[in-house]
Amino acid sequence: MNKFLQIIFAGFIFFSSSVLHALEVIEILGGKASQIPIAVMPFKSFGAQKAIGKINSVIKSDLSRSGLFYALDTRGVVAAPNSDKEVNFSQWKSLEAQFLIIGRIDFLKKEKVKVSWSLIDVYKKQTVLSGEYVGKEKQIRAIGHKVSDKVYERLTGSKGVFHTKIAFVEKYNNQKYKLNIADYDGYNITSLLDSKMPIISPKWSPDGKKIAYVSFEKEKPVIYIQEIATGKRKLLANFKGNNSAPAWSPDGKRLAIVLTYSTNSQIYLINADGSDVKRLIRSRSITTEPSWSPDGKEIYYTSNQGGGPQIYKFNLESSEVSRVTFEGKYNLYPSLSYDGKLLIYLTQDQGNFKVALQNLQSNQVLKLTKGPLDEAPVFAPNGHMVLFVYKDYGKTTKIGTVSINGLKIDPLPLGSRQVQEPAWGPIKN
Amino acid sequence: MKFFKLENNDELQANLFSFAIHLALFLVMIFSVGWQTKIPYYGEVEIWDSVPVQKKINKTQTTPKKKIKQQKKTTKVQKSNEAKAKAQKEADIKLKKKKAAEKKAKKLKKQKAIKDLKKKVLKQEKLDKLKKEMLEKEKVERLQQQVIEQQKIEKMQAELRENELKQQKKPALEGENEVKGGVNTGELNKYKLLIQQKIQQNVNQQLCGLDYINLEFRISLMPTGELLGQPKMTKSSKIKSCDDAVERAIIQSQPLPLPKDSGLFSKLKNLELKFHPNGVE
Repeated sequence: MNKFLQIIFAGFIFFSSSVLHALEVIEILGGKASQIPIAVMPFKSFGAQKAIGKINSVIKSDLSRSGLFYALDTRGVVAAPNSDKEVNFSQWKSLEAQFLIIGRIDFLKKEKVKVSWSLIDVYKKQTVLSGEYVGKEKQIRAIGHKVSDKVYERLTGSKGVFHTKIAFVEKYNNQKYKLNIADYDGYNITSLLDSKMPIISPKWSPDGKKIAYVSFEKEKPVIYIQEIATGKRKLLANFKGNNSAPAWSPDGKRLAIVLTYSTNSQIYLINADGSDVKRLIRSRSITTEPSWSPDGKEIYYTSNQGGGPQIYKFNLESSEVSRVTFEGKYNLYPSLSYDGKLLIYLTQDQGNFKVALQNLQSNQVLKLTKGPLDEAPVFAPNGHMVLFVYKDYGKTTKIGTVSINGLKIDPLPLGSRQVQEPAWGPIKN
Repeated sequence: MKFFKLENNDELQANLFSFAIHLALFLVMIFSVGWQTKIPYYGEVEIWDSVPVQKKINKTQTTPKKKIKQQKKTTKVQKSNEAKAKAQKEADIKLKKKKAAEKKAKKLKKQKAIKDLKKKVLKQEKLDKLKKEMLEKEKVERLQQQVIEQQKIEKMQAELRENELKQQKKPALEGENEVKGGVNTGELNKYKLLIQQKIQQNVNQQLCGLDYINLEFRISLMPTGELLGQPKMTKSSKIKSCDDAVERAIIQSQPLPLPKDSGLFSKLKNLELKFHPNGVE
């Protein structure tokens, strides 16, 4: 009996394997960096007809700025449906839309609004995500950014950065400087500091509550830490020589700074309360522009130890130094993505300064921009975009974003302001 | 006769030849050619039509001694005056000469300076040219390096692609166009490749992170190339956005290229698709 069962089992295995074998297998390696076509319909208003700005324009601009979406122009093409049941899917498919965002704004009492929205999958013919936000009328842009964040996370698997803040330095009246804070897309600018002396290198603390920066108000560079909510500030580093290039550790307890205390520019570590200063790397060459790895175990920096400026990393546990960039003779200003897998820096390529992206696993390098005079690239907190300064010879500087697939370069709408030294704040939960 | 008695004809011939040569040399010594190394001198001769007549000395030019004395007296005064004037003149000339010399020196100096400057400019130009050439060379070298690197990458990609194709074509290569169970394997592999290419074009790998992940789907097809039902995921990449993106790629690729032959179609109507969006390790 036992043997009989065994034979049946063996026969079953043979049969099933032959059936499986009959199924043709196709292996598909790789793919393309393409943009998801999405249609963002105008949101319908109910209860009042006030001009509070077009929320769908905010969402459209957010998604296309990321470089991962292609916002379709739907003006006058199709009437906006109220729900997924009203959607003519074959029509949207012929427009090559893969997703559709629809929504409505209800005007409530006390100048409040309720925004309801849905994300519809055109291929699956169903709503895949929906939500509701209530806020003040003047917060309509912020609500739009929140919708973008949700859609972005659902479709890309990464957190959106559309509700984050940036900081930058504005030079005005030719001699005065402001440290400004704005929405990530350059709207809602407020000033944190006004100074007659230059301000450089603003850096957000990991909790987004403070900004460290370098000021020349003591007639030499010194480092301050300023609270954003209260405006209170304290002098972090005013040592002999220059004090510059602050970089917060991922836990926010320490900062790497650069001092010319004993010799040339060298990296030191200092506690956020200004205590316990110690030299990090012992080198005869210049070591500067520190940037922490997200695990806090390594510091990437620029050094001229091999001749021209190149990027190196220092392991805080083993004190081991290794070179990171090999392509090109001039690489500087490193900045790491939140997951530590990507590195961006400034590279000189055929006389032009461009933003380069290096995959730290494969060490492949992609030049994201064309130059000629790009500066100061910093990662978005989700690592999908880069904020940087760019200008053409003899023209005013601009701050813009570039997507890491290189498909979208977009300036921030800052008009004719003379802007420099951008920093991207963290995602707040 | 004994003297001439020779042992064989060869010896006789040799002796006769030697005698003849000696005789010839003797004759040459007597009637030798007078070889000359000097070119014979040819004198040039002027031919005159008539003998030239010598000019007579003019007697009136000879003056009496007294007259000469008087003349000498007057000329003495004149001479002193003349000497003065001459000295003045000479001084003037000297000054003029000096001035001219100075002028000339200045001019020369100027010319020299211009020449030097020109030389300098030329030198600089040469240096600049050299520098430019070097820069150009460096640029070209850099470009070449880039091209080489690009070629390397392309070569690697081509190799990868070839390997992929080889793997897919393996059964076909083993028996190209072999008919197995009523199915042409070469044709079958051609359509598999077409399907692979169409779907791959639509996989948005950006939504699949950076790690080496893989995921699998099963699909059923209608003869028109449209999907019969939705794609069924049999293995997830554990990245939701990636699973969704691959599913969308499959849907987007409709209609898939399929053969008209019903035997071939039956082989392709159910497919297992294995995806490696970020390649394989």
